[in-house]
Amino acid sequence: MRRIALVARREFVATISTKGFIVGLLIMPALALAFVLVAPRLMNARSPAVRGEVVVIDPTGAVAAEIVAALDPAAIAERRVENLRRTMANADPALGELAASSEAVAQALGQAPVLRTIDRFGETNLEAARAWLLAESPGEPHLAAIVVHPDAMVRRAGRSEFGAYDVYASRALDDATESVIHESVRQAIVTVRLRASGLDRAALEATMRVARPRAVTVAAGGDQQAGRDFNRMLPFILGLLLFAGVIVSGQTLMTSTIEEKSSRVVEVLLAAVSPFQLMAGKLLGQLAVGLIVLLLYVGVGVVALVSFAMLGLLDPMLILYLVGFFLITYLVFGALMIAIGAAVNQIADAQSLMGPVMLLMVAPYLLAPMVSRAPNAPVAVIASFVPPVNAFVMMTRLASPTPPPAWHVLAAMALGLGAAVGCLWFAAKVFKVGLLMHGTPPNVATLIRWARSA
Amino acid sequence: MDAAAIVLSSLSKRFGAVTAVDGIDLVVPRGVTCGFIGPSGAGKTTCIRMIMAILFPDAGSLSVLGRRSALEAKDRIGYLPEERGVYRKMRVMAFLTYIAQLKGVTAAVASTRAAALLERLGVGGIDDQRCEDLSKGMLQRVQFVGAIINEPDLLILDEPFGGLDPVSVRRLKEVIADEHHRGATILFSTHIMAQAEEMCQHVVMIHRGRKVLDEPMAGLRRQFDPRTIRIEPLEAGADLLALGALPCVERVVPTADGCEIRLHAGTDPAAAMRDVVARVPPARVELARVRLEDVFLRLVADDAATDVAARALRADLQGLGPEGAAA
Repeated sequence: MRRIALVARREFVATISTKGFIVGLLIMPALALAFVLVAPRLMNARSPAVRGEVVVIDPTGAVAAEIVAALDPAAIAERRVENLRRTMANADPALGELAASSEAVAQALGQAPVLRTIDRFGETNLEAARAWLLAESPGEPHLAAIVVHPDAMVRRAGRSEFGAYDVYASRALDDATESVIHESVRQAIVTVRLRASGLDRAALEATMRVARPRAVTVAAGGDQQAGRDFNRMLPFILGLLLFAGVIVSGQTLMTSTIEEKSSRVVEVLLAAVSPFQLMAGKLLGQLAVGLIVLLLYVGVGVVALVSFAMLGLLDPMLILYLVGFFLITYLVFGALMIAIGAAVNQIADAQSLMGPVMLLMVAPYLLAPMVSRAPNAPVAVIASFVPPVNAFVMMTRLASPTPPPAWHVLAAMALGLGAAVGCLWFAAKVFKVGLLMHGTPPNVATLIRWARSA
Repeated sequence: MDAAAIVLSSLSKRFGAVTAVDGIDLVVPRGVTCGFIGPSGAGKTTCIRMIMAILFPDAGSLSVLGRRSALEAKDRIGYLPEERGVYRKMRVMAFLTYIAQLKGVTAAVASTRAAALLERLGVGGIDDQRCEDLSKGMLQRVQFVGAIINEPDLLILDEPFGGLDPVSVRRLKEVIADEHHRGATILFSTHIMAQAEEMCQHVVMIHRGRKVLDEPMAGLRRQFDPRTIRIEPLEAGADLLALGALPCVERVVPTADGCEIRLHAGTDPAAAMRDVVARVPPARVELARVRLEDVFLRLVADDAATDVAARALRADLQGLGPEGAAA
C-alpha cells in the first residue's frame, strides 16, 4: 500500500505540475468565457454599414414608392428594434430596455445597410436591369434589382394567390443585406395590399399576435424563470463533465505509461514495485487528477448558478451520482488506456488501438439527443445497462425531468462496476506482459493473447 | 539468513519459439561477487529479470535471499538494469529520493546517501538538474546510485560499465568493492571478461540459455595452471626450435615475435623458465595466465555449444590449457 501511495503521489504531482495540464485545465472555461463575452463584440464592432444602390422595377406602379420608403435606413433600423422588442418581450425587463435603443441593436446585429434606391417605375426591361447590375459603378456598388411581378397587387383571373417579386443580385450582395431587402419588400407589398383592401394593418397585427408564454419552473427555493432551459442543458453539461474528466485522465495515463516504457525507467520501477502496484498507483494518481478537473468545473458551475440565484435547480444528488459514475467510467477507460500505453512503444503506435476506445467514448454523444428527448424509451433503458456507455446515458436520464427508477440506477452502477473489474483484470495482464515488450506494436488479438497467457 | 543469496533450479523461459533460458541451475552464496558472463543474447538479462521477478519462469523454481520471489525482498535488493532509464522531467535528487522511498528508505536518509554517493562518483552538485539535461555517463552514475541507495543485501548489476569513461569505471569499481566489503552479494553481468577477472570471486558463463561454466575464479586459475611460457628472444636469429630438446618441454609453437613453449604436465614452471632463459636470452619472457576472454571466445566461436561442447571445453582447458584459443 505504501508503494502504491508513493507511485500515485508521483503520478499526481508529475501531471498537475506540467504547464500543459494547467493550460489545458483553464482553456475550457477560458474558451467558454471568450465565446460569451468577447466574440460578439469582436464580430460586430468592426463591421461597417453596407452601402450600395438598388433598382426597383415595378410594372404595377403601386408598390415602388412603399418599397423605397421601406428601404430607407431609418425605416430599416426602426423595424429591427420593433422585431427585437417583440422577441424579448418575455425576457428580463433590463434586456427589454436594452433592446429599445437602436444603438444597442446595431451593437448586437451590426450596422443597418444604407441603400440608395433608384426608381424605374414602369420599366420592364429585365435586360437593362441585368446590364445595370453588371456595369462598373464609379460610386457605390450596384447591389440588386427588385422586380415586382405584374400581379403582385391584383390577382389574375382565376387565381387565389397574388404574384410576388424577384431579386436579381450582384455578386457584391451579402446574405444579411439580401434578407434586409426581402424583409423590406415583403413589408411594403403587404402594406399596399392591406391598404387596397381597406384593412387596418395595426389592428390586424394585434389580432394575430399571441405574446410568448412565460415558462416558470416551480422549485423548492421559489419560482424560477429560465429554469426550463437550464434543465434542458443540464444533462449535456453533466455528460460533458464526465467526458472531460475521463478524457483528461485517460490520455495522461496512456502517455505517462508510454513515457515510462520508452524511457526504460519502468525496469527500475519494477525492481522496486510489482507491476500490479505500479498500475494501481498510476490509476489512483490519475484518478485524483480527474476528480480535481471534475470538481473544479462543477465548482465553477455552482458558483455561476449561485450568482444567477438558480442554485435551487441543481439537485445535490446529481453531483453525487456524477462522481459515482465518473469513478466507474474512469476505471473502465483508465484501465483500457493504461493497457494500451503498456502495449506500445510510442504514441504513434497507440492510434490504431485507440480507435475502438474512442468509439466507445463518442457513442454516448450519438445517443444523448435520443435519450434526453425520451429518457424512458426502450433505447435509453437498454443503453442504461450496457457499460461503459451506461454511465453517460444514466447521467442524462438522471438529470432529465423524469428520472429513472432507483433500481435502474443501482443496476447500471453494478454493471458498470463489473465492467470496470473486467477491464482492470485485462489491463493488469496486458500491463504485466507489455511493459518490457519492445518491437512490433501489438494488435488487439495480441493483447488478448497476452491477457490469456499472463 | 544462512540461505544462499540466489538459488535457481532448472529455470527456463521461452519467448514464442525462442528458448531464452534453458534449464539453468545456479547457487550464488552470500557475500560473493559473482560474474555472470556470456555473449549478447545468451540469456543473461532474461535470467536477471526472472531473479528480479520482473519476468516469470515457464519452468523451474528460484529463491532470492531465502524468499520464494524477489517480490518479497525488493527492499533488500539493488538492481541496475542494462537499459538505463529515468524520468526525463524529474530532478536528480527527486528521482533518487523517489526510488529510495519505493524501497523503504526515508526521504531524509535517501537524500544524505544520494548526495554522498553522487559526490563519490564525481557528479556532486547535480541534485537540482533535470535528468533530461544530463549526459549519458552522468545518467548512468545517477542510476547506479539509485541501485545502491537502499544499501542492499543483494546487488544485481547488468553491464554496469557500458559507455563510461575509464575514470568513472574506476570510481564505480571502488564503490562496488565497498559494497562487497559491506557484505552485499553482488551478481554482475558483463561481456567484458577483463572486468569479471578483476572483480569476481566466482564466474558463471551462459551461452544460448545454458550454463556452460560455474567456477570460483581461484579454482579456474588452479585448473588453468600455467604450463605455457611465452618468449620473445633478444637476438633475432636465436634458435628457438632447439628449446624443444629440453626435457620439460612438450612442444614449441612459433609466434610472430617469438614462440610459445608448452610444458609437460607436472613440470615446475619456475625451473623450466630458468632453463629456457639459460638457452635463449630473452627480450621478454612470461608465464601465460588463464584469460576468461580466451574461454569466452572459444565458447562463442563454437556454434554447437551444447552440454557436450561444454564438457569438451572443460576437458580441453584441464588437459591442454588455453592454447590457440585466441586464434
